[in-house]
Formats: sequence, C-alpha cells, structure tokens
Amino acid sequence: MRLLALALRRLLWFVPTLLGLLVITFVISRVVPADPVALVAGETATPAQIEALRRDLGFDRPLPVQFVDYIARLARGDMGVSLFTRRPILDDLLQRLPATIELTVAAMVVSILIGIPLGVLSALWRNSAFDHALRILTVSGLAIAGFWLGIMLQLLFSMRLGWTPLNGRLPGYPPTHITGLYLVDAALTWDWATFGVALRHLALPAATLAFPALATLVRFTRAGVLDVMQSNFVLYERAMGLPRPLIVWKYILRSALTSTVTQIGLLLGILLAGAVVTEAVFDWPGIGTYAVSSIVLSDYNAIMGFTVWAGAIFIVVNLLVDLAQTLVDPRERAT
Amino acid sequence: MSTVWFVLTRLARDRSALIGLALIALLVLAAVAAPLLATHPDDVFELHPSERLRAPSSTHWLGTDRMGSDVYSRLLFGARITILIGLIAVGASLIIGVPIGLVAGYYHGWVSDALMRVSDIFLAVPQVVLAIAIAQTLGPSLPNVILALSVTYWPWFARVVYAETRAVQKEAFIESTAALGASPWRLTVLHVLPNIASPIIVRSSIGMGFTILTAAALGFLGLGPPPPTPEWGRTIAESREFLPDAWWYAAAPGLAIFLTVMGFNLLGDGLRDVLDPRLRRSPARDG
Amino acid sequence: MTHGRSRLAFVLVLLALAALVATPAVAQTRFVFANESPYDTLDPHAAFDVGRVAVRLNLYDGLYRWEDNPPKLEPWLAESHTVSPDGLTYTFKLRHGAKFHDGTEITAEDVRYSAERILAIKKGAASLLSTMIAPESTKAVDKYTVQFTLAKPAAIFLAVVPEIHVVNSALVKKHEKDGDWGQAWLTNNDAGSGSYQLTRYDPAIGFQARRFPDHFKGWGPKYIDEIDFRFVKEDNTRVLGMIKGDYQGTGGYLPNDQVKRLREAPNVKIVEQESMRIMMFQINNQRPPLNDMHVRRAISYAFDYDGFNKEILGGSVERNPVPIPNNMWGVPKDVKGYTYSLDKAKEELKQARARVDRPITVGYLQGFSQTEQAATVMANGLRKLGLETKMTSEVWPAMVERMKKPETSPDLVVYWISTYYADPNNWIGEMFNSKQWGTFKASSFYKNPKVDELLETALKTTDRAAREKAYQEAARIVVNEAAGVWIYNTKYFGPWAKNIEGIRFSPVGNGQEIRWLSYSK
Repeated sequence: MRLLALALRRLLWFVPTLLGLLVITFVISRVVPADPVALVAGETATPAQIEALRRDLGFDRPLPVQFVDYIARLARGDMGVSLFTRRPILDDLLQRLPATIELTVAAMVVSILIGIPLGVLSALWRNSAFDHALRILTVSGLAIAGFWLGIMLQLLFSMRLGWTPLNGRLPGYPPTHITGLYLVDAALTWDWATFGVALRHLALPAATLAFPALATLVRFTRAGVLDVMQSNFVLYERAMGLPRPLIVWKYILRSALTSTVTQIGLLLGILLAGAVVTEAVFDWPGIGTYAVSSIVLSDYNAIMGFTVWAGAIFIVVNLLVDLAQTLVDPRERAT
Repeated sequence: MSTVWFVLTRLARDRSALIGLALIALLVLAAVAAPLLATHPDDVFELHPSERLRAPSSTHWLGTDRMGSDVYSRLLFGARITILIGLIAVGASLIIGVPIGLVAGYYHGWVSDALMRVSDIFLAVPQVVLAIAIAQTLGPSLPNVILALSVTYWPWFARVVYAETRAVQKEAFIESTAALGASPWRLTVLHVLPNIASPIIVRSSIGMGFTILTAAALGFLGLGPPPPTPEWGRTIAESREFLPDAWWYAAAPGLAIFLTVMGFNLLGDGLRDVLDPRLRRSPARDG
Repeated sequence: MTHGRSRLAFVLVLLALAALVATPAVAQTRFVFANESPYDTLDPHAAFDVGRVAVRLNLYDGLYRWEDNPPKLEPWLAESHTVSPDGLTYTFKLRHGAKFHDGTEITAEDVRYSAERILAIKKGAASLLSTMIAPESTKAVDKYTVQFTLAKPAAIFLAVVPEIHVVNSALVKKHEKDGDWGQAWLTNNDAGSGSYQLTRYDPAIGFQARRFPDHFKGWGPKYIDEIDFRFVKEDNTRVLGMIKGDYQGTGGYLPNDQVKRLREAPNVKIVEQESMRIMMFQINNQRPPLNDMHVRRAISYAFDYDGFNKEILGGSVERNPVPIPNNMWGVPKDVKGYTYSLDKAKEELKQARARVDRPITVGYLQGFSQTEQAATVMANGLRKLGLETKMTSEVWPAMVERMKKPETSPDLVVYWISTYYADPNNWIGEMFNSKQWGTFKASSFYKNPKVDELLETALKTTDRAAREKAYQEAARIVVNEAAGVWIYNTKYFGPWAKNIEGIRFSPVGNGQEIRWLSYSK
C-alpha cells in the first residue's frame, strides 16, 4: 500500500518535473547568441526575408508565448520541425533512435554476459589473484575516459591490426529497413554479408561503451554475492551439508540477477551518458550525435525535442528504479 | 580529532587507498611544481613548427605535438587546469547541493518533494549533454566549463544529504531531545552535519574523478578552454589526425586522465570503506 | 569418338564466340568516392560550393562547362554564343537532340526556366546571377535559342554561366507545391540530363548513379558504369579506405601528413595539380583599432608564414601574398607582400595612432583543424608583440552568419576561398568591393572608393587587358593597406586508385567529373 502511495506521488510529479526540464532547456536554447533563423534563410537572404521567415516560424513572439505554444503542440504530439533538416523532429529522432538502441543494447548485452559471471566468480574466489586482477579492471573501468578508450581501441584494432573498420555503422547503404537495427534487419532479410559488416562496425563502439558498465556490474554483482554468501540462511544450508554448487545456483545466482535488475537503471544512465561521447568518437549516427549537433547548430526545436524524449525516459527510469529499490531494501520503505 | 586519527590509521592499512592517495599527490605535485618540473616550460605558449611530431627522446620525454611543443611539459601544466576545474566544480556543487539536501530532508510535504524533483530535473538528462548545452551556449572557456559542471553535479550531493537527513531524523534521540524542548532545526543540523560528513567526503572524492572525466569530455568535443591551453581532453582531440604514427601524442594525456581519476576513485573507495561500513553492504545506494 | 570430339569443339567455338561478343560491353565497373561534406541536397540550384560539386557535374549539364587546368570554358549544352555590341545581350544556340534522363529533349524553355528558378529560390549562384540578370528578363527565343539580357555589362557573366544547370522544367513543374519551384521534390530527386542518372539517395550517406547511355557527349569504349559518392567525415577513414581499396577517389585537400601516407600506398596514386584555393585571415577593417592601417600591417608581419606553410603543412602549399591566386591572371607579379618579421611589426605598431588595448578575437572553424592551427600560429605571433588574443570558434554556417555584419564578425577570421568560377572577381572582387558587405567573402568590411571604382570597371568591360590592369592596381592598393592576411594558395593532391585513368582536373570541379574516367585494367 505504501508502495502504491509512493508510486502515485512520484507519478504526480512526472509532469511538473518534465515541464521544469523543458523550461530550463527552453531558456538555455534561446539564450544562444547565434541566430538560427538567419542561418536557415540562407547565405543570400536579405534582412526583410529573414524577418519574414522569423514570423513564419513564430520566433518573433515573446518567449513565454512561444513556450506555451510549444507545450500546447507537444500535448498533441507535435514536436515541431527541425530548422535544418526541415523534417519533423519526431521523424528525425525516430530515424536516429535505432542506432543508439543498437549500440546501447549491444553494450548492455556484452556487459551483462561478461560482467555477471566475472562478478560471481570473483566473489566465490574472494581475495584470490583473479579477484585482485578483476578489482584493478573494475577500478580502471570507471577511471578511463570513454573517448580515450575508443581512440586507443581504434588505434590498435583498426589502424595497426586492420581487424575492424574505423567508424560508422556501415560503409554504404543499409539493409532493407524493418526495424532500423541493422543487425536485426540484415538477419531478417537473410543478408548475412551485411550482418557481418555491421557486426564488425559495432564491435569497437560497443566495447568502448560497455567497459564502464561492465566494471560497475562486476563490482555490484560481487558485493551482492558476498552479501548473500554471508547471509544466515546460506550459512545454515552449508552447515546442513548442502553441496556448494547447489547453493551457488539456488541463492547466489538468483541474488546476482536480482541485483542486476536493480542496477539496470544505473547501467542505463551510464550507457546513455557514455553513448554521447562514444557516438562522437565513432561517428555513430545516433541520438547522441543528434543532440550535440542540434546544440552546436542552435536548432531550437531539435534541442527541445531531444530533451523531451531523453527527459521523459530518464524520469520514468528513475521512478522505476526507486520503486524497485524500495521493494528490495526495507529500510528505504520507511522513508 | 580522535576520529580523524582513527580514520587515517584505518586508511593507512588499505593498500589501494594509499595508492590512490599517492596518485593524487603526484597530480598535485605536477600541478604545483609544473614550472620547475617541466623541461620546456615556455611550451605552454611557444611554438616550434620545425620540431613537430617528434617521437619521445632524451630532449622531449614524451615527444612533441603538432606545433612542436613538448608534450610532457604541456601535460604538467594541464594538471593545473584539471585540478582547478575539479576543485571549483565539486566545491560549488557541494555549496549548492548540501543546503538543498538539508532543507529537503528536514521538511516533509510538497517543499521537500519540489526540491527533490528539481534535482530530478537535472538528473533527467545525462550530465554530459546538459554540460555541452551550457558550454556551447556560453562559449568555450574555462569558467564556463566549471559553471556547466557545477550546475549539473550538485544533485548528487543533494540526494545523499537528503537521505542522511531523513535517516537521522528517525533516530530516537532526535525525537526525545525535541520533546525536551530543543529547537528541531538546530537539532537536525547539529546532529545531521557530523553524520553527513562521511558521505559528503566520499562523494567529493568520487565526484572529483567524475567531474574530471566530464571536463575532459567537454575539452575533447572542443567546448573547453580554447587553444593553446594544454587541457588534457583537447590535446587528445588534437592528436587524432596524427594517428597511428604519433601515438604518444594521444596516449600520454589519456594516461594522465586515467591515473588522476583512478587516484580519486581509489581514495574515495577507501574512505567509503573506512567511514561508513554500513554503506559497504548496500551497494545500490551510490552512483 | 570423332562425334564427341567435334561436338566438344563446336561447344568451345560457341563459347569463344560468346566471349568475343560479350567483351565490347565493359563488365560492370563501379567507382566509389569518399567526400568530406554531406550531400544534403540534390537540388543543383541550392548549392554552389565545391564540397558538393559532384551532384552538379555528374547529374546535370550547363550551357558551358569549365574544364582542365588552367580552366577553359568548353561548349556543353550550348554550341556557341554571341554577345551584342553593347555587351547587354547574350544569345546561346543550343545543340539539337540532347535529352533529359526521362527521354524528353532539352529546349531553350528548360534553360529559361532554370535561370528563373535560380533567381527565384535565391540560393547557390543566385547571389552572383541576380546582380547581372533580373527575373523575367531571360527569353526562349525559339526552341534552341535562349537569350539573356543584362542590366549592365558584366565581364563575369560568361564565367558564371556554367552554374546555370539545366533542369527538366516539365518534370519539376509537375512536382511544384505551394509555389516552392519544386524544391521539396528536387532535393531528393533527379531532373537532369547529365552523364549519370540517379539510382539511390540518402542525405546521410550519399548518392548513387548509373551511366546515362544517351548523353549528348557520347561515350568512348571505356567508362564507369556506376558511381557512388559517399559522405565520409573523418580524414583518417577516407585515407584508410583509399589504402584498403574501398574508395577509388577522395578530396584532394588532405593534410600533408595524410598525403604522405597515401603516396606510400601501393594501389593509390597522387595527382598533383596547381589549384586555386586561397587561405587567408580576413581582418575586420571597420572595428577599431583594426581600422588603423599600421595595426593591420603589424598583424601581417606577425604571422609565421614559413613556419606554417613549410613546416606545419610540409611545403605542400605555396605562399600567396595577394588576394588573387598566384596562377590566376590579374596578379601584380612585382608585389612581394608581407613576411614574418617581428621587428617590422613593432615598427608599424609605433607608427599607429590607435592603441591596441583589448584582446583581439581570432575566429576559426570548428571541425577544420588547419584553421585552428593557423589561428594558434597567429595568436602566438601577436602574443610576441605584446598583444592579447581571444580565440573563438564556430561551425561554418554559424561563422558565415557572424560575418554578415561588422558588429558581430570577429577581428580576424581564417578560412579558404575556393574557385567558384575562374575569374579574379571570385576573390579580390567579391572580397573588397564595398557593395559585397554581408557576404561571407567580404568579411573584411573594407571600403575604399578607389578600389571600388577599379573593381567595378573590371566587372563592366570585357577587355581582358583592361581588366587585368584594374585588378593588378586594386591588388596593389589592398596589399599596401594590409586589408587582410593572405597565407597560401593550395595545391591539389588528389588521391586516386592507381588503375583509374582519364582524370580531368579543373579547380572548379576538382576532378569529380566521372564521365572521363575508366579503369586501365
């Protein structure tokens, strides 16, 4: 019941929080000194033409009016049109979303598949050489600059060894569009050549992005498993003579998986933040590069659109994570 | 004072924390003594185009960059910028975040909710993106980077202080002393502050590492201090077009960032282990 | 036995004959080019720049075309032209039977429509064309004759004519929406007659096209069947791609270090050509203290030209001290320009009446590391004079925006001016004529009535000798007053696959006209 109350309270705040985010972004994006309207009008536009375009786009009205109008249209699902591509923002976002999803999911899969077993093993073999080596790895994972790691990987695997391409998702045209996820699309259309090429392009960016997530996951899994191993019921079962592998399987792995679920929120945060920089290094045409280029070009509508999307996702994820934590940690429930 | 001694002795037994401390000391030394330790201190500004992109040698320990300046010397001066950004940004975040967390934790009801939702707003978008937006809007420069980082990091402090304040409030002795007539505000502050000291210290150390990484990312994207500032992230970006031949040009500043952030992370971990054993058991609490 | 053998022989002969018959058609050949700018539009009237020239050269045709180096005007869709004695009327005779990609014949009406369209949508070459012809002044006299009427005589009209790319007027009109002259449609589609016909386009990736067999220029025995122009942003990726053979061509203005790597690659050849592309610092002549000639001269003496050209760029460029490329006519050959001399700079500062008491803003382009390096070298020189600098960077569109007004333009901005058309007016004319203020080439905000007069004269008369004298004199004045800092003229170092032949390089097209190319083996 308290959980429900908590959830409801947080949901009530969803809209104001999002609104607050939009206000801040709106203000920031309009403070920009460059004038995107003039940019869009073209190199040869006269001042009269620029003003006409400004009126067309509605940018001559007072800021509060513009903001209210934006919110009103947003409520109807209209994110506006990009000043530069002249296409609806929603279209632009949807077109670039699959690239980021593909990258993020690949990184998450890699970090989970490698991270959890490593974490469990290092807890089971506590204080062994393996554990210590892994500790160095996990500390490094959060200390390495993502963009530098990407560049070093490029240096070794692309430039020196030639095993992977340097950047981008594909050298040429994508497979037939079904989901926008090239691996999925290529597999669905039985285009295994493209599948292989896309996989090789995905390798380095996914590895770069996965590294800090991997490190975090190993740490938390290890701590979670240690907790469980020292808990009373496990000690009881060991005293009762239950075989170790069974204990490992029954309690430890389950707890490890549970701890992962609660960490998904954290992981997602790390991955999405890392995606911006990773996409920049590997020229990956996803949401991250879209956000950065919109900011650099002062494309107001695109900046707002990206913020709405990202903000909504994060707020929801944060809410879910907080709820999950409340479920897991009784101490939190009291708050 | 005895607690400080206690902490220090416990810390001294943690080998990785000591390594962290040593790395930080190295960074501080590099920054403070840069003019003395540098082999070519003028290369912060000076150009020697005829000596560009030389491999590491006895005269240039880490080689030269695209303008012929000594990479090693510029790295040392870059340490100054790194420390400056870290200290001021984390300090400012602290000054903003702690009071907000205190107020949100002390009060219940919509004030507290509102404050925490404001902090949610700032956490809603990746810190990097928000920092990029601010830095690009205001223009690439050192003060703007620091501003952007401070504005985006304070929620972490606010959250920690909020949680601690709430936890302390529930302690029985608060309620009983309040019953004796002491002002609840004064009580909370007096009792909360010593308790939140530990998480704040831990957060600051980890925050230094985090902030330095984000600052380097901004520098890499060209949004940090302009050339010829020897900021580490910018140097890495500059080096890219000369790879793979001039690999030292990219490797050196990256390693510097790595060692620095590792130092703060190790220290932070060690502090956390010593100061708050309770936290050690619930890894889900921290970010 | 004999039966089987003779049958085998018969089959072999058949196969041999089949092979013989099959060979004249060259096997499917592809050519992939890695471009450093995105092909964000296919509309030939929306872009004028060298970065996206492949669309215009391969999918479209103009009345004349610039070919070879030094650039010459070659009749293309037009066979000839005449000019009226007063220099106001240009009449072009079109060739008969030239076809668009959809099979319809190219007529004078298409040419007229194209010219009007450029003026109407006000993009690309409109900025130049609109100074010479007015809307509705172009006439299709008959099916194969088109007539342009100029407001006043303009020497550069003929030089700009190649930019009037002829679009299929019927096709474009069919897709007009809300009076947009078909822009929304033509951005993504092909209404041309060029040597290649569009097959695929993605603004984020690039375009593909296949050979148009009925092109009026005809085809030789060897050619490229399919062209693929791709946007590849990173220098390193393009270089690696050339070395691996993924690309057969890429832009020829790579940094010297990359050119060296390509020279060493066994399957790449570097085609070296004199080009016309100046790099310079524009000085904001209107903003104090830069409105003082001696301050500008001091700045001109403070840049380490040799350090930049010879060391940082490895000698791949030539010092170009005047605002006209060295290899263009109109350059005063006796003018030596400024050198790197801090002593002379300090002398000039002493003579200046204005005092430099604030940091000088030096603007460079985000994403173009050479401009960043040039700005750094300039800042270093100024620092040695005791002058503080503040670096500022923008992406190119934002910088163009800032350079429209003297109030927002930085004190110094560094960038290039390439060959839009092969005439000195492309540089010195558009840079220093005070009527050009607000265009990106004229961010010097220079105003000198004498220079204006010289440049206007050069625009009006078609007498080459008179024009040459005018440009030379204008150049002398401008250099003397140090209206800008002119650093180098670049050479073209084009990386091409070794087995590609037939490349025709022109500074206007940069060799991206694929119809002349073929594989040697």
